[in-house]
Amino acid sequence: MMILQKLKGSGFKIITISFVLLLAAFILAQVVCVVTYTTPQVLIKSLASREIWFAIKLSLITAVISTILCIIISVPAAYALVRYDFPGKSFFNTILDMPLALPPLVAGVGLLILFGTTPFGKALAKAGLVFVYTPLGIIIAQFFVNVPFMLRILKSTFQGINPRYEYIAQGLGCTEAQAFWRVTLPMSKNGLLAGSVITWSKGIGEFGAALMVAGATRMKTEILPISLYLNMSCGELDLAIAAATILIVISFASLFIFERYSGTVHFL
Amino acid sequence: MIRVENISKNLGEFFLTDINLEVNAIDYFMIVGPTGAGKTILLETIAGIYRPDKGKIFLNDHDITNAPPRDRNINVVYQDYMLFPHLTAAQNIGFGLRSRKISKTVTKRKINEVANLLGISHLLCRYSDTLSGGEKQRVSIARAIITEPKALLLDEPLSALDPQTKDKLRHELKKIHLLMKTTIIHVTHSLEEAFFLGDQIALLDKGKIVQVGEPKEVFRKPNSKFTADFMGVDNIFKGKSTIINGASHIDAGGITIVSTTPAYGNLFASIRPEEIFVSKQPIVSSARNSFHGNVENIIDKGVILNLLIDVGIPFIVVITRQSLDSMKLKISDSVYITFKAAAVHVF
Repeated sequence: MMILQKLKGSGFKIITISFVLLLAAFILAQVVCVVTYTTPQVLIKSLASREIWFAIKLSLITAVISTILCIIISVPAAYALVRYDFPGKSFFNTILDMPLALPPLVAGVGLLILFGTTPFGKALAKAGLVFVYTPLGIIIAQFFVNVPFMLRILKSTFQGINPRYEYIAQGLGCTEAQAFWRVTLPMSKNGLLAGSVITWSKGIGEFGAALMVAGATRMKTEILPISLYLNMSCGELDLAIAAATILIVISFASLFIFERYSGTVHFL
Repeated sequence: MIRVENISKNLGEFFLTDINLEVNAIDYFMIVGPTGAGKTILLETIAGIYRPDKGKIFLNDHDITNAPPRDRNINVVYQDYMLFPHLTAAQNIGFGLRSRKISKTVTKRKINEVANLLGISHLLCRYSDTLSGGEKQRVSIARAIITEPKALLLDEPLSALDPQTKDKLRHELKKIHLLMKTTIIHVTHSLEEAFFLGDQIALLDKGKIVQVGEPKEVFRKPNSKFTADFMGVDNIFKGKSTIINGASHIDAGGITIVSTTPAYGNLFASIRPEEIFVSKQPIVSSARNSFHGNVENIIDKGVILNLLIDVGIPFIVVITRQSLDSMKLKISDSVYITFKAAAVHVF
């Protein structure tokens, strides 16, 4: 109430600010509830359990790989969408944004059918790339759901770089690709970092699509959100809380790094 | 030498129509025109950023119309410097040599040479965000000249700088041109800059070259209303100045103009038309410049009129319709023009 007293001004100002405080309290309340649900001793013990360790490791690995995939695909795609004109550009722009609007569960079903039943999926499986009910499925689910975020951040980043930097580099002897590599890419460093962090952190939290494609098999496709879900359903509350706590820590750390490096990047 | 033949390019908002130009290395070539005339797109088309819709571009008699920018060896300097922010000044300057796989020792030596020439040796380790505007433009000029380009295209390189820095860099651009003997095309909207630097100037308006020639010639014999309007803003004269009693006495070819700004040697003097009084009889006043001549032309501009008065050299004078009527001025009348020494701008 001290804060409210300090704020001189209209009643309207005080009312609107109260809404900010209420919302902040609501958000913090749920975080505090999760973290303080068990005692620190129990939490540490759960974190050290074999199952939670497995979930942490699998989450980290799959999210890192899916993030790298997002970078590899998004960098050239975003550059093309920003710098070049081609037929159907706005149509493709909309298509590439579609996963943003799609519920992850639906995306998961689509991926499951694509990789499980079509000749394309079967050919991949024959070649040793089995996506259905495997960790590979987790990676492809994370990639599918998160690639639009990376794409949007990179488009915004490239848009912020005056193409004249590239013209100068070309005049100084670079090909288009060299100009991109030596000038545009280093200048996109912050956008790339911000994009990677947000993609990685969203990858770690991805549940719906991963559940559909990779299933929820203990100690096999058990990433942190799946672990939370499995342990919650069978009453292992301590393990569930441990998984939730780690997810909270990762989200906050990512948000902090993102805010710090994203600068003028906009992605929504 | 750059020769542009019938170049047209349409980028929607900006466009070029049938541009013909021939620029020799010995001439410092200025392109002057108002905002939106198509100056930048002309430079970028010559640099190879845009393919012309039609026409041809020759560099030292080679057809480069379809050559990619990297094979042209033509460098551009922009108004807003465009220094690579992730590289130091030295790395920026050496960028072109690195692309061409020049050895590190040679690169280092050349960086030092150009940095010396432009007086930026002490800035080599700095990143661009720590440099002032003038310093950034020096680095960007250094980066453009280090590869010894066959042509240097300057896009309003001085427009973002403060007057002192502008003045210094203007002299250095002239020096660089003499030293490198490379073809330079310098684009500006400033007449003053064009007169100071240009051996040849071309006027560009709405994507078309309106007139090309020596500055004096273009100024004295405008071939269109656009040229006349554009050039008619100022009375600009080339002359040689000596200092007598702290004032400049400028021999402008037939008449001597006095300016309160002390300056010595070859320079330009400009007098804004509205600073000049016209009278039928000589007037006694403290103004130190008074000349006798004839009204050559009266140009109606609505509320005001421009008089072209030849006093040995042509002056443009602005008067109101009211004063024209009360003085009953006609073409070929004998008149006196008078202006203060303080109204004479020297550059």
